[in-house]
Amino acid sequence: MTGPGEVPDDPPPFLRTWRRVYIAVVIYLAAIITGSYLFTRAYR
Amino acid sequence: MRPLDWVVLVASLVSIIAYGLYRSRGSNTVDRYLLAGKSMPWYAMALSIMATQASAVTFISTTGQSYIDGMRFVQFYFGLPLAMVAICATAVPIFHRTKVYTAYEYLEQRFDAKTRALASVIFLCQRGLSAGITIYAPAIVLSAIMGWPERVTTLLMGITVVTYTVLGGIKAVTWSDVQQMGIIFLGLLVALIMVFVLLPPAVSPRDAVFLAGAAGRLNAVTTHFDWNDRYNIWSGLLGGTFLFLSYFGCDQSQVQRYLTGRSVAESRLSLLFNAVAKIPMQFFVLFIGAMVFVFYLFVQPPMIFERTELARIQPLPEYAALKGDFDRAITQRREAALALAAAHRSGDTGAERRDEADYRAAQHEIDRARARASRLIEQAGGPVDFNDTNYIFLSFVTRYLPMGVVGLVIAVIFAATMSASSGEINSLATVTIVDIYRRHVRRGRSDHHYLTASRWATLFWGAYAVAFAGWGNRLGPLIVAVNVVGSLFYGSLLGCFVLAFGFPRVRGTAAFAGMLAGEVAIFWAFLFSRIGWLWYNAIGCVVVVAVALAITYASPGVTTRPVEQPAQE
Repeated sequence: MTGPGEVPDDPPPFLRTWRRVYIAVVIYLAAIITGSYLFTRAYR
Repeated sequence: MRPLDWVVLVASLVSIIAYGLYRSRGSNTVDRYLLAGKSMPWYAMALSIMATQASAVTFISTTGQSYIDGMRFVQFYFGLPLAMVAICATAVPIFHRTKVYTAYEYLEQRFDAKTRALASVIFLCQRGLSAGITIYAPAIVLSAIMGWPERVTTLLMGITVVTYTVLGGIKAVTWSDVQQMGIIFLGLLVALIMVFVLLPPAVSPRDAVFLAGAAGRLNAVTTHFDWNDRYNIWSGLLGGTFLFLSYFGCDQSQVQRYLTGRSVAESRLSLLFNAVAKIPMQFFVLFIGAMVFVFYLFVQPPMIFERTELARIQPLPEYAALKGDFDRAITQRREAALALAAAHRSGDTGAERRDEADYRAAQHEIDRARARASRLIEQAGGPVDFNDTNYIFLSFVTRYLPMGVVGLVIAVIFAATMSASSGEINSLATVTIVDIYRRHVRRGRSDHHYLTASRWATLFWGAYAVAFAGWGNRLGPLIVAVNVVGSLFYGSLLGCFVLAFGFPRVRGTAAFAGMLAGEVAIFWAFLFSRIGWLWYNAIGCVVVVAVALAITYASPGVTTRPVEQPAQE
C-alpha cells in the first residue's frame, strides 16, 4: 500500500489564523452556555 | 404505515444507497476504499461526522429522554467544541503528516508495535460492541411498527448495511451521509411543526414552551455538582471534553472520516463545523422531545409506551387500580395545564402559582404510576429496570403524524442508523486489515489482496455486529448504552494519545503499561463504584498518563531523551 501524497497545511478561509478560529469557537461555546442558562432560568 | 409512507420510505432509502454507491465508483484500491484517495471536501466530511453521531439513537432515545427528564442531556455536548479545538490543533496535522491509515498506525511510529496492537484491540472490542447497539436501534422501529421480532429486523438491517458497506467503502458511506443529513434536518423540522400543529387550538406555541418549562422539561443547564449525576454543566464540560477527545481523536470510526480530507485545513474545517453545529442541533432534538411531552398533556398517553410490556401486565389484578390512578392523574394534569396556561396569559400570579402546584402534583402522580407499572413489569417476568424511553417518540410518530410524514421520519431513522453502522463496520475492517492483518499476519502482499481482505473483514464485522445486536435491549436507553460501552475503553486510548502528543520522553513500554493500568482503573470504577460513566474517560486518561510517567521517571535504565515526533515539520 502506498501512502497518500503530501498534504498542505493552508490557513483558514476566515480570521486569517487557526488560533483566531479556535478562540472564536471557544467564545461561541461561552455564548451558547450562557444562552442555555438564560433559557433555563426564563422557563424554570 | 400506509401505502404513501412505504413509498416515501423505500424511495428515500433506495435514493440514499444508490447515490452513495454512485459516488463511490472507482474505489478499487485500498487507498480509495479506506481513505477515499484523500479526496473529500470539508463539507462532506463535516456532514458525515455529524451523521455518524446523529444516528437513529438521536431520534429514538434523546427525544424520549427529554420527554422523561427534560433537556439537560444537552450539557453532555458542552465539552465537544473544546475537544474539537484541541484535536484540530494537535491530532489532525500529525495524522496527516505521518500519512497513516489509522490512528493506531501512528502509535507504532511514536511508540512501538505492541502499543499499536493493544490500542487496535481495545478499539476493536469497544467499537465492535457499539456497532451491535447501533444496528439494534432501527430494529426497535420495525418491531414497534410492524410487530416483527427484533432479531429478524436486526438481521434484515444488518444484511442491508453490510452489503452497502462492502460494495462502496468509505466514499459510499460519506456521500450517503451528506444526502442523509438533508433528510434528517427536513425530518426534524417537519416533526416539530407537526407537534405544534397538533396542539389544541387554545394552546399556542408560546403556551407550549411555558408548560414544558413549568414541568421541568426545559432544564438545559443545571449547575449543581454531583459525581453520580451524568448530566450537569460540570460533567459536560469536564467529562464531556474527555469523552469527545477520545471519540474524535482516538476512535477510528471518526478519525477515518477526517483522514479522507484533501488537506489539513479541510479536515480541521470539518471538525470545527461540528464544534459549532452540534449543540444547537442536539438542543433542537431535545426541544422536540419536550414538545412531545406538551402534546401528551392534551392527548391521553399510554401508561407504558412499549406495547409488548404493557400487554404483559394488563391481565394482572393490580393493573386495573394502577390504570385508574394513572388516568385520574392525566385528567388532573390536563385541567391544571389549561388553567395554568390561562393564568399565565392573564398575568394572574396568584392563580398561576396555585395552578402550577396542581400541575406539578399531577405530574408527580403520573411519574409514580409509571414507576409502579415498571416494577409490575419486572415482577411479571419482564426486563429488569424496565423503561420505555426508546418507544416514546416512535409511538408519537406512528400514531399522530400524517400519511407520508411517518414514512419520512422512519426513513430518517433507518438511513441514519445504516450510515452510522456502516461507518463503524468500515472502520473496524480498516483496523483489522491495516493494524492487525497487514502488520502481523500477511505482510508485503499486493494491493488487490488487501482490498479483497478489507471486503471480507467488512463482512465479518457486519455479521459480528448483527449477532451482538441481540443484547442491546438489556442495556437500558440506547443513547446511554452506546456511550457506556465507549467509556469503558476510551479513557485508555485517550491517555495513550495524550502521552504520544504531549510527553515526548515516554517510550513504548511505559505507554503500554499505562494503558493496561488505565483499563483496570476504568473497570474498577464501573464494577465497584457509583461514579457516573461520563467520568470514566477522565479517570482512564489520568491513570494512563500517571502510570506511564511514573515508569518513565522511576526506571533507572530508561533514558529521558525526548522522542522525536515522526515526520513533523
